[in-house]
Amino acid sequence: MPASIDAILDALPYLLQGSLVTIGVVLGAMGLGLLIGVSLALGQVYGPRPLGVPIGLYIWFFRGVPLLVLLFLFYFGLFSLMGLNLSAFAVAAIVLGLISAAYQSQIFRGAILSLPEGQLKAARALGMSDTRAIVSVVLPQALRLSIPGWSNEYSIVLKDSAVAYALGVAEVMARAHFVATRTYEHLPLYVAAGMIFLILTFLGTRGLRMLEDKVRIPGYSR
Amino acid sequence: MGELLFLQQDVFPALMQGLWVTIQLIIPSSILGLAAGVAVGAVRVYGHPLAIRAGNVYVTIFRGFPLVVQLFIWYFGLPHIGIYLTPFTASVLGFTLCSSAYHSEYVRGAFMSAKRGQMMAAEALGFSRLQLIFSVMLPQAFRRALPGCGNELIYLIKYSSLAYMITCIELTGQGKIIASETFRFTEIFMIVGVIYLFLTTVSSWGIRRLEARLRLPGFEHHRM
Amino acid sequence: MSEDVPVLRVEGLSKRYGEKPVLEDASFSIREGELKILIGPSGGGKSTLLQCINYLVKPDAGRIWLDGDEVVPARKRELYAYRQKVGMIFQDFNLFDHLTALANVQIALSKVRKLPRDEARKRAVMELERVGLKDHIAKYPAQLSGGQKQRVSIARALAMDPKVMLLDEPTSALDPELITEVLAVIRDLGLEGMTMLMATHQIGFALDLAHEMIFMEDGRIVETGPPRKILSTADCDRTREFCGKLTDLYGEAR
Repeated sequence: MPASIDAILDALPYLLQGSLVTIGVVLGAMGLGLLIGVSLALGQVYGPRPLGVPIGLYIWFFRGVPLLVLLFLFYFGLFSLMGLNLSAFAVAAIVLGLISAAYQSQIFRGAILSLPEGQLKAARALGMSDTRAIVSVVLPQALRLSIPGWSNEYSIVLKDSAVAYALGVAEVMARAHFVATRTYEHLPLYVAAGMIFLILTFLGTRGLRMLEDKVRIPGYSR
Repeated sequence: MGELLFLQQDVFPALMQGLWVTIQLIIPSSILGLAAGVAVGAVRVYGHPLAIRAGNVYVTIFRGFPLVVQLFIWYFGLPHIGIYLTPFTASVLGFTLCSSAYHSEYVRGAFMSAKRGQMMAAEALGFSRLQLIFSVMLPQAFRRALPGCGNELIYLIKYSSLAYMITCIELTGQGKIIASETFRFTEIFMIVGVIYLFLTTVSSWGIRRLEARLRLPGFEHHRM
Repeated sequence: MSEDVPVLRVEGLSKRYGEKPVLEDASFSIREGELKILIGPSGGGKSTLLQCINYLVKPDAGRIWLDGDEVVPARKRELYAYRQKVGMIFQDFNLFDHLTALANVQIALSKVRKLPRDEARKRAVMELERVGLKDHIAKYPAQLSGGQKQRVSIARALAMDPKVMLLDEPTSALDPELITEVLAVIRDLGLEGMTMLMATHQIGFALDLAHEMIFMEDGRIVETGPPRKILSTADCDRTREFCGKLTDLYGEAR
């Protein structure tokens, strides 16, 4: 089908621009998810007991409700109720970030709990405050241990970001559909979009594996 | 009072109708997806090298393409080669294929972790290859794969909402329609969200119960 | 400071987990330059006592004085300052796994004592030289032998200028051939006048250097006295029995 190949080649620059939008949404979501996720995990492990309840509810809610429903809820509902006039791009990044935070918190929590208890004891014995011990001793180790889980989470967030099309964010999927409806070359364009996601998954997980090697503690085998 | 009447007369009937479609989507997709996943998983462990390679390509694509893209391929793309599916059929097909790829990963891991010695023992007893896969390996592998496969079911419940994007009007779609008519986005999507929350919570509780039921004494230690 | 004020004084320290008492009414004091050895069967409360002394385990009751000043653990700043003055050596080293030997020693100097970078580094190098690890400062814990790890952890504690050191079986996680190098470092510390409280099964070491032995069993201090007396003519039957076994295991009481 030479016509199909032409259609893909014609659309490729346009789709690749869309991949920048996709990357933007994913980076925003992963960053926000990291920030909130680490806080939730620290709250769960080191916080006072009552704090566990709201954190548990947060995780339960954002893991139990579909992304699309949350996108609609926040974009058409909550944010305008709060008087915020956010772009579809921002809402997609925020909602994906809120969901990812729930999953990321479980990754960090597992990593923190897998550290030997003696690490915290030794820090305290040197006169470190709990906050200082967490910042200087626990987090540097826990974050390293979280990279494989994080890599997995990246590939999920990346694929989920295609749902942002439902709000009209001009990411890869939206652009593929836009071109497809004009050229009637649906199949080749969607496959091309899928391949772009596949490549972005590969590049991202590859990059995170390189990061993992780079920050690997010498002599430490896992 | 008017508020309650509005909920009773307009919102609930529509959402219940949507919920029914959602359930009709989930049940066949989860059963077919699991069955296909077990088959693909078994092939990727015990199959012919070429079949293993084909299985790996299958899994890479169906796990690597976003589900929305897959649904669009089935619904908008297939007509390109002369195949026309209804939104409902395209959704079930999309969910089944995608979740089978994920299931096959858990099943494969479970098969691989089963001890080789057990296979040799079964072969020594005169089992055929197919017999030993079904009567010796599968019961063990199923237990090992259960947590992962259970998780996949929860995902499927949530991702069934994407059927709306190819115009299959299920729960999310019904919510979107009423919300757009009434401009009550927050309330309606909250209700929709709570219904999904109920489905996912009950399912994960059920899976945990099943896991506990199937637990073999001393077996849990070998789980990964 | 008056001569007769002990560096560390402990009164009535007690701890129970649920119903089970693990430490009952422990009292003793250590004067400057003294080395006291804690002996007794495993699970007898030695480790709990040491960890209660710097509040890593929160005691249920008891008071502690450092240089005559009572410690109030509820005041966080005071607690942190107190812990800096009490060096702790753990059985399993507890080096920070993500940091080099140098950074392990340096981190508390920078982050807790807030020394400038260069000064902290200089001090850390000095302490590592003192324990004979000059050539290993850039290595990570996983690249060091057990004996080297324990020496790094001693350097880490020394860098804080502790008034007293608590050592919780510092050699019991080590292969036999590595024990000597760690004991040599501790011996030097003792000869330089460091005040120490050490739980150990190394009877020979204790006989040579200890000023006093404290025998603990079932969470209680059963008997206290000069090492030679405790080992050979202890008043209490259990003490004699235990020491007899230790002597069989870890060499003759010379």
